[in-house]
Amino acid sequence: MKNIRRLAPVAALSLLGMAGCNFLTGGETQVDPNRPTVATSRQLLIGVQANLWGLWGSDPSRIAGIFAQHFTGNQSQYQSQIQNYSLNETVTNGLQTSLYGGGGLVDIKKVEAGAVAADDKFFQGVAQVLEGATMGTGADIFGDLVYSKALQNVSNGLQQASGDFPNPPLDGQLAVYDSVQTVLSAAIANISSTRTSDVGPTDADLVYGGLSRTAQRAAWIALAHTLKARYYMHTAEVRPAAYAAALAEAQQGIKSDAGNYVGAFQNASGLQNFWYQFEVTAGRTGYVVPNTGFEDFIAARNDPRRTQYFKTTAAGEEISDERLAPDFQQPYVTYDENTLIWAEAAYRTGDQATALTKLNEERANHNLAPEAVAGQALLREILSEKYIADFQLGQEGWNDYKRTCFPNLVPTGTGKIPGRLYYDTSERQTNPTNIPNPGTAPNGTRNANDPANATSDGDGSACLGQ
Amino acid sequence: MRKLFLSVIGFAALTATTAFAQDGARVSGRVVGETGAPLVGASVFIPGMSLGSTTSDDGSYSFVVPASRANGQTATLTARILGYTPTSVQIALTSGANINQNFTLTANPLHLGEVVITGAGTSTTRERLTTTINSVDTAALQRASSPQNVVSALAGKAPNVEVRTQSGEPGASASIKIRGNASLTGTNQPLFVVDGQPIDNQTNSTDQGPNDFTGTGGTVSQNRAADINPNDIESIDILKGSAAAAIYGARAANGVVLITTKRGRQGPTRITYSSTETWDRVDPKDILQHQFGQGSSLATGTPVAAVCGGLDCALDRRSWGPAIAAGTPTYNHLTEIFDTGITADNNLSISGGNDRTTFYASGGLTAQNGYIVGPNNKYNRGSVRLKASHQVNSKFNIGGNFNFIDTRGNYVQKGSNVSGLFLGALRTPPNFNNKDYLTASGLQRPYRFPNPSSSDAFIGRAYYDNPFFVLNSPGNRSELGRSIANINLDYNPTDWLRVQYTLGGDYYNDWRLEALPITSAGDANGHVVRLDLNNLEIDHNLIATAKYDVNPNIQTTFTVGQNLNSRRFRDIYNAGEQLIAPTPLSLNNTVSVQGTEFRSLRHIESYFGQAETNLWDQLIVNVGLRNDGFSTFGESKRRNTFPKASAAWIFSKALGDKASGLLSFGKLRVAYGETGKEPPVYGAITALSSSAVFGSPGFGDVITSKFGNGGLVTGPVLGNNALRPERTRENEYGIDLGLFDQKADFSATWYNKRASDVILNTLPVNTSETGAFFTVANGASLTNKGYELALNARPVTLANFAWDLGVQFAHNKGDVTSLLGAQFITYNNEGFTGAIGSSTLGFAPGVIRGNDFARCGNGAIVDDVNGNSVDVDAYCNSVGAPKGALYLDTNGQPINDPTDRVIADPNPKYTMSYTSSVKLFNRITLSGLLDVRKGSQVWDGTRGILNYFGTSKESGEKRTTTDGQFGVNYLTDKYPVVTGPGKGTVAFTNYADWQAWYNGEGGGFGNTGALFVEDGSFAKLREISLAYTLNGNFLKALGGFTSADIRISGRNLHTWTKYKGLDPEANLGGAEYLTQGVDYFNHPQAKSFVLSFSLNR
Repeated sequence: MKNIRRLAPVAALSLLGMAGCNFLTGGETQVDPNRPTVATSRQLLIGVQANLWGLWGSDPSRIAGIFAQHFTGNQSQYQSQIQNYSLNETVTNGLQTSLYGGGGLVDIKKVEAGAVAADDKFFQGVAQVLEGATMGTGADIFGDLVYSKALQNVSNGLQQASGDFPNPPLDGQLAVYDSVQTVLSAAIANISSTRTSDVGPTDADLVYGGLSRTAQRAAWIALAHTLKARYYMHTAEVRPAAYAAALAEAQQGIKSDAGNYVGAFQNASGLQNFWYQFEVTAGRTGYVVPNTGFEDFIAARNDPRRTQYFKTTAAGEEISDERLAPDFQQPYVTYDENTLIWAEAAYRTGDQATALTKLNEERANHNLAPEAVAGQALLREILSEKYIADFQLGQEGWNDYKRTCFPNLVPTGTGKIPGRLYYDTSERQTNPTNIPNPGTAPNGTRNANDPANATSDGDGSACLGQ
Repeated sequence: MRKLFLSVIGFAALTATTAFAQDGARVSGRVVGETGAPLVGASVFIPGMSLGSTTSDDGSYSFVVPASRANGQTATLTARILGYTPTSVQIALTSGANINQNFTLTANPLHLGEVVITGAGTSTTRERLTTTINSVDTAALQRASSPQNVVSALAGKAPNVEVRTQSGEPGASASIKIRGNASLTGTNQPLFVVDGQPIDNQTNSTDQGPNDFTGTGGTVSQNRAADINPNDIESIDILKGSAAAAIYGARAANGVVLITTKRGRQGPTRITYSSTETWDRVDPKDILQHQFGQGSSLATGTPVAAVCGGLDCALDRRSWGPAIAAGTPTYNHLTEIFDTGITADNNLSISGGNDRTTFYASGGLTAQNGYIVGPNNKYNRGSVRLKASHQVNSKFNIGGNFNFIDTRGNYVQKGSNVSGLFLGALRTPPNFNNKDYLTASGLQRPYRFPNPSSSDAFIGRAYYDNPFFVLNSPGNRSELGRSIANINLDYNPTDWLRVQYTLGGDYYNDWRLEALPITSAGDANGHVVRLDLNNLEIDHNLIATAKYDVNPNIQTTFTVGQNLNSRRFRDIYNAGEQLIAPTPLSLNNTVSVQGTEFRSLRHIESYFGQAETNLWDQLIVNVGLRNDGFSTFGESKRRNTFPKASAAWIFSKALGDKASGLLSFGKLRVAYGETGKEPPVYGAITALSSSAVFGSPGFGDVITSKFGNGGLVTGPVLGNNALRPERTRENEYGIDLGLFDQKADFSATWYNKRASDVILNTLPVNTSETGAFFTVANGASLTNKGYELALNARPVTLANFAWDLGVQFAHNKGDVTSLLGAQFITYNNEGFTGAIGSSTLGFAPGVIRGNDFARCGNGAIVDDVNGNSVDVDAYCNSVGAPKGALYLDTNGQPINDPTDRVIADPNPKYTMSYTSSVKLFNRITLSGLLDVRKGSQVWDGTRGILNYFGTSKESGEKRTTTDGQFGVNYLTDKYPVVTGPGKGTVAFTNYADWQAWYNGEGGGFGNTGALFVEDGSFAKLREISLAYTLNGNFLKALGGFTSADIRISGRNLHTWTKYKGLDPEANLGGAEYLTQGVDYFNHPQAKSFVLSFSLNR
């Protein structure tokens, strides 16, 4: 009995001492010591820019480059699947969700809300440009998308797993482009606001952040106009009136190479140019190689970009050292693109003189002699220059092909050149009402309003249904 | 070493002598079996006095009762040994007397009366057990000189305990799955408890970057239970069902493995030295072709050797080139990377004690050199243990158990990894000599650049590493120091109350280096990854047990306890990019270093109680309750209760108590229990992230938001503050029978396990709605139903000839019944493009999803070769083709169906094992174990990929055939019935056709994973062993040894299987993966030849 009495306090102490009232909640049991939970608009903006470069520079761009035959899927998955057009949900899984998830729309909306709260219209406008670019790219790749009813289960920045809005409906591809035009217009108006509270993102802007505020503002406005021109062009196959709109935007777009919107990559882990990561970090050299047809196409035109884009090694053709550098400032929206949209839109609206002027302005930018062509030959020259300028420019090579069927590419896989990628598995699973099973969807790799099934006439006219 | 060994023996002998230098009553005698054979290691003791001894090799024992305690009283003397019925006699203890007492024990094959550990400090006797607990004792573990990993050693030892050793490399992890998967995300490994203290059994690999160490590439992954030295183990009790495991509450849904280590016994000090040498070999099937060299036929239609220059360079890495000229040497790229692996395992244990103090001390050293050529596949483990207990007074015992382990190894890169050993080896054209692996300047010479080559110009363009470059790279190492220690107090204030207290700690630091040298395919600039893992688990367990007998026929036992547990995990991961100089492989020698860290802390505070009633020794009823508080449970669900109840009726007692006859023993069991699994740590928190991945990180599609002053993005996972534990409810029914004078016993168990509130760590949420990819949520459910049968027979039990045999049969059927609205969830890391691990509604957990060709009845609408849309089912209906018929396009080829579906179920339909052993003259034992697994499918990704490369045997044979027709002579075993407009069309008529097919949809990089699914059923001759026991005077003369055992055995000597790959058992991921059965350049298990001997003194 004596022993029990002696032991009892020990036992009681051990119970109380170790199982104190906060044993289950103390220390680092309830606080995550590894991950932050709050972020500023500036921090989120950096994530949003990185995400957009991912959309334009990583796997979606390699796949689009193979479809546009800038590249050849030469090995392994890129040969058996992409080059052969053997696509399904799993091949491209994870791409669609990046439009909405971290760095995508959810964070863009947070940045916009933060800018409104800070009464900073410049900052808000910059976020809106990025929104237009993100969702416009989504429409390019996937066609119909959830946009007008997106993020309904996020309120006041708080995300809910199951909210009141299951099965969000898809907007048609054209409706998405219309919304993109609206948000880009709003962006231009907001960026133009010069009140004292409109300080903008300053150096959180990774591309134009080093400029003076006035120059930074001008750069974003020009970028927004070029993007508007780009997305008007993407609708022109079914809305010929879009050429005039594109022309008007291109006239206010990027005016020089200095205004190019680029991926501001750095030589540090996780910050490198995606092609460097693919070829060097991940060791996938040779999986995706320069398309010899495209190289021949440039070479035949005596264009110096043949060696700017590519190098010849004993192991075969590869991307040039400059473009493979880890910190290569990869262009995504450029003066070249703007000039050629201007030229094509002018041509399509009947102004061949301007079209030729702009074509030669573009050629001069690459030290090429001016041309004196007219009619279909002029259009063919513009589209040829565009095909070369589209190299590694996000998805533009593929987008232009879908619109113009130029150049007259021979499909490398079964069937026709795909017009879209499949939605993510998880998005279909969680939105079965609106996203069909890929195996039972007719024309799974076509957009409903994308008449890419037409036959090319070799100069980009027939495909447009004109 | 020899000197030390002798001095240790000398010291032990000295202690032994002093033990007898006392006055008192000397009790001695001999314990033999019915046949007269001595019983070695039997305990002879006086219960209640803590006095006794164990028998030596001739069955003799002796001990002294101190004069102070021998005052002429009568005491009970009991002799007990596993497998025999304990026997007691009364003796009179008189000081100075010499009491001679011999025992003849009768065999007890049903182990009646033997103590079974039931967990959390409780135990009972075998016949009173109300649930299924499979016990594996030392003898079974050592029978075939079991492998070094204690988990691997459990293969085939108990029904529905499915063990998979992930590869044959040194240090490879092994997974154990008890009655199927209880859970859908996170681990499905059981809780490991050593001497009452939970220990860590994580499986970590260095592969997937920060904080995700379960990868498919990198180096071999280890499971930490492998740190336990099997030589220290006395017995293993496997708590399978929820009723048995409920006492461990929310950590026990996957079952519990209770390990009891050896302890010292009083009496003369015993010394055992054992040495085991193991030779490992791989005799792989020839899965490669040896006729065609590097090149391609696609551009020209005829095979062209690799050429390069100018714009149209075609320096091909495939082996679709021309036939190798006669006389050109070819190389077997599989067998050349293997040699004979050697493992030396040496153990010394010294144990003994006196009437108050016992000890067991051991030291073991295992040095394993694997079967891969070169110095960089080895695994060494050193371990020391001291377990001691001291009886302070008649009521109080204090004990301690200290174990220190040093594990270190060198590994080679493997798996899905361009620097992996098999990837490069098996993709090499047959005529390239890999052995010449360095260029003149010491850089790698990969096969892509044929002989001779100035390949310094090709740095970074190897595609795949030369296997000899890989296996000679010293860049992958791990060093681990671990201590597992506890003190325990046992206090018996009265004869009805017992209080036990255990306080233990398990701490390890795992230092890892993983590096790719300059010119590696995986990173041409070279890189160094350093990972430090730290794990600390502290466990406090306080238990009180009270026995109360209402009357002799109604006995009750009550147990209450408290458990406090703290688990702290820390890691620091540093990735150094771009080596400056080729060596050293150190972070200091890299251009940039990026570091990340992860830490977590989890606390448990639990209370439990249990009551057992024994009525007339016939009906045993056990009820219990555990209340768990976990820091990982959501705020509103902080505490959860897990009940259990079970009963057993020994009906043979009601029929008359007899130990012989047709039915000598019969028991019916029924049990119900609930167990759980805890949510992931910090699952309640929605956090931000600093990186995004597009496509696959293996393709470099990673971008962080660390630009400028640093950015953040919304994290992929939505937190959930209402997480509660998963809950498994299980009913179990069983019958145990002793038959034919106990010459046979049979037991059968049926169970029905229903898991609800199952947590999905990665439940997809609609990203366009929520901005998140996944959430963590309770609510999925699954069931596992099955049965287990075991039959053991001892047809011959003569003095000089004993034969016994056993068969175990187990069946488990898993079924995912709810995924919170999702049709399936995928485990992207657990498979490969074309074969992704998943859990899918209506299937067992862990099935593999992928695509198949369009077939009738699947509702497929596909694009044909002309780009026109085809409704396959409409066509099938119009021609009356049966469901499942393969649709052939006009070109005679099938079309990929883009809808992914379940293509393989790696879960076996049943598992079986047969054991048999013959014992002759009490000296020679011959035994064997055959392990059978039926109906588990394996995705043979290796074959698919080698078809693409043209190095596979299949591609070598097919390419010269001119009649490749589906339904007639190609893939007819897989797709016997065909339909479609291309039916009757020969799809492949020449070399280029075959190459185009294998480089497209017909090869492993295509989208048709179903093409490579195979039956992975097998029967493995898991163990066979011949043991001989020596004892006699010459051993005594040799150095006082009493006996010696010599054993020759083999492991995995033969496998009968239809599987076309190297090993149906190996798996790409680690043991933690739910999806098993993914073969992607896996290293096979070795055949082992084992020679061991042990000396006892």
